[in-house]
Amino acid sequence: MNEKIISPLNRVEGDLDLKVIIENNRVIRAYPMSRLFRGIEIILRNKYPMDSLVITPRICGICGASHLYATAQALDMAYNAYVPPNGVRLRNVMALAEMAQNDVRHTYLMFLIDTVNKKYENLPFYKDMVLRWAPYIGSSYKEAVKWSKKYTEIYAIFGGQWPHGSAMVPGGVTTDPYYNDIMKAKGILTHITVEFLEKTVLGGPLYQFLEINSLNGLEQWCTDYPNGDLCKIWNYGKDMGWLELGRGSNYLMSFGHVPLAEKYVPGNSKLMFDKGIINLENWEKIDLDQNNILEFVSSSYYTYDEGEKIGLHPFDGETKPLPPNASSSKYTFTKAFRYKLGNSLIAPEVGAISMLTVGGNSLMVDLVRRFKSNVLLREIARIIRLALIHKIIMDELNDYDINKPAYKKPDEVNTTRGYGMLEAPRGSLGHWIVIKEGKIYNYQIVTPTQINMGPEDPFGNLSHLSLSLLGTEVNDVNNPIEVAHVVRSHDACMVCNVHFFDSGLEKMVIRL
Amino acid sequence: MKNLLWLQGGACGGNTLSVLNASDPDLFTFLFTHNVKLLWHPSLSLDNNITQILNDIISDRLHLDILIFEGTVIMGPNGTGMYDIFAGKPMIEWLRKIATKADYIIAVGSCASFGGIPASEPNPTESTGLQFHKKDCGGFLGKNFKSRKGFPVINLSGCPVHPEWLLTTLLLIIEDKLSQEDLDEFNRPRLFYSTTTQFGCPRQPYFTYKISTKELGHREGCLYFELGCRGPYTRSSCNNILWNNQSSKTRVGTPCMGCTEFDFPSFNFFKTEKNRSGIPKRLPLGVSRGSYVTFSAVAKASAPQFLLRPLVRKGKGDWIE
Repeated sequence: MNEKIISPLNRVEGDLDLKVIIENNRVIRAYPMSRLFRGIEIILRNKYPMDSLVITPRICGICGASHLYATAQALDMAYNAYVPPNGVRLRNVMALAEMAQNDVRHTYLMFLIDTVNKKYENLPFYKDMVLRWAPYIGSSYKEAVKWSKKYTEIYAIFGGQWPHGSAMVPGGVTTDPYYNDIMKAKGILTHITVEFLEKTVLGGPLYQFLEINSLNGLEQWCTDYPNGDLCKIWNYGKDMGWLELGRGSNYLMSFGHVPLAEKYVPGNSKLMFDKGIINLENWEKIDLDQNNILEFVSSSYYTYDEGEKIGLHPFDGETKPLPPNASSSKYTFTKAFRYKLGNSLIAPEVGAISMLTVGGNSLMVDLVRRFKSNVLLREIARIIRLALIHKIIMDELNDYDINKPAYKKPDEVNTTRGYGMLEAPRGSLGHWIVIKEGKIYNYQIVTPTQINMGPEDPFGNLSHLSLSLLGTEVNDVNNPIEVAHVVRSHDACMVCNVHFFDSGLEKMVIRL
Repeated sequence: MKNLLWLQGGACGGNTLSVLNASDPDLFTFLFTHNVKLLWHPSLSLDNNITQILNDIISDRLHLDILIFEGTVIMGPNGTGMYDIFAGKPMIEWLRKIATKADYIIAVGSCASFGGIPASEPNPTESTGLQFHKKDCGGFLGKNFKSRKGFPVINLSGCPVHPEWLLTTLLLIIEDKLSQEDLDEFNRPRLFYSTTTQFGCPRQPYFTYKISTKELGHREGCLYFELGCRGPYTRSSCNNILWNNQSSKTRVGTPCMGCTEFDFPSFNFFKTEKNRSGIPKRLPLGVSRGSYVTFSAVAKASAPQFLLRPLVRKGKGDWIE
């Protein structure tokens, strides 16, 4: 038996410690450990609700717009705000531009560079992988560095700056663009589409790629356009065994994303990507009800007043932190997220693969039906999503009505509550806000990395990441690259883990 | 060859992501052109040999030219630093040793500079900046700390830092052109922190004639009088050196949040606090109350008519004061 602590596990957003126990070259236990606590949300308590628009984006340097969007939606609901279609469109453009930036940076800067690992040295395509994906010098790596920041320019045209803009507000957006702004954003997007997405990533025309709706179509694409990274990732990934690596939870969950501009109703919008849960065993689609969300702390550095066995809904969240190492059974600052399904508690997987599968993307659905979830499909999902994002941003900009407003001032309500739920780059993100007498009484956040990488619950159920690591075959225990693939395929964001403490009044941000 | 090490404490990673947005030159071109070796970065490095790198620096086997620190220094709970365990130890233990080995230390972002959001009340993580705690010199390393080249920690505040501010500062260091006279009272390069956010703000004419916008979502009108814009008293170059080559907060109608200042976040954003006579509590930098009142009356009376209506679109200008 070989116990290995990888501390820190780099190339995730923030630091992650991971303890894996390996027996006969197989992972038999895995403990993802968050070892950093930032305490941001404690600070939000008793502040004005609008202050959260400035604070929550700063929870995370790579997906701040998602936090901002969630805050804006939560305040929309709390204030019963009307958001003009233009406001919804610009929010969508900003959130998706950030997501595209993330998906490119994750794929090339954080994930693919592991292909230069010595494990693959003797593969016939090793040289091609190095030429494309090696850090700093690979041809595609350099293109990704160059083009990923162009998405942030689209964001900045409407959001002022990226990261950490605060241009989404209850009632819409602060910005009031003219024709030239819309034209410029479309111009940048077209430039990225032609020069990067089509040349480097897909290897062929976007409009044609978007017509693919099955595995056969993808295979045909790879025959027709063999030089794109998509084809290389797909073919090399299959050869490297990534389709069998890192399976995990039986459930894919998505909070749903991209409200239709004309049908925006806080908490009940028509969405481009539907919300829900899919059971991978029988393909049952389960409606998602936020009332069924629970958080447990039996393995986390917290206690609950009512004991360790109970789970709390975010509106009633309560977290009292304990100093690290105070208890041998506790090992992380992350709470365990569980969804109550009938009499059982499920620990779903979230991320691009879940967003597209639950959202009904036919290509993704076909792939997941055949191969379930795994390292390779998580990466492929991000590329499919990237292509879809290009189309949606362009559509939203084309449909923007320059003669109509993008903001309508809502009436602030003194005592109220609301939530905002959407898909951040790494998966489902939810904010819950309780406002009393004009001040924030409680603000709780559930993040995708928390959902994927929490500890076990009091009933011994493991979270998705631990499940996906179990049984993983490690070729060389001194070079556990397979473990790194599984963790990094989730695009872990360690800075995003967030919790409350003290009767739900306070919360803190944790970095794994 | 200069060795550069980048570490993160209580950070969101925003400064890292911001620096990846650098365009001319981009980060990697910059490092290559100027012969800088990035020893390790938590998000960018291929290898995970940080423990060895840290130990080599501490035992003088490896020279550290520049240390960049992002995020707050986390002292909690109770001064143990256990809320931030890095490579098996509290980050503060590594930091204490590494700091004495670096020729220069740069605090990127407001967290590393002043403590930022995590250090605001009630400061649940006992966070502080490297050499400042809010406005007080001291922080984690102490008031008298100097890096090996005799410099205090060079602060590049902002939430996040602008890539151009960081790369320029690095270049000045690499080319040995930075002197202590180039730093302001918060040890920030004057080059980027001597003007206020208003310099270059397209809403400046509205400010001049005291024409306020009463609600968000409009291109015209000044955000200072009602909507909490901190631009007139925040020192930054955000409207001169634009963000992402495109814009700034005030250009898209978002009030300046004062994120480069030691007191960020000062809260009650999107709202201008006023005293009983209706004068903003915080006045433009260097302006006295008396001058402000006198000047406002004259300015308001002199406002040109065309500024009182939307510039491009027809329609009522009832959002303007």
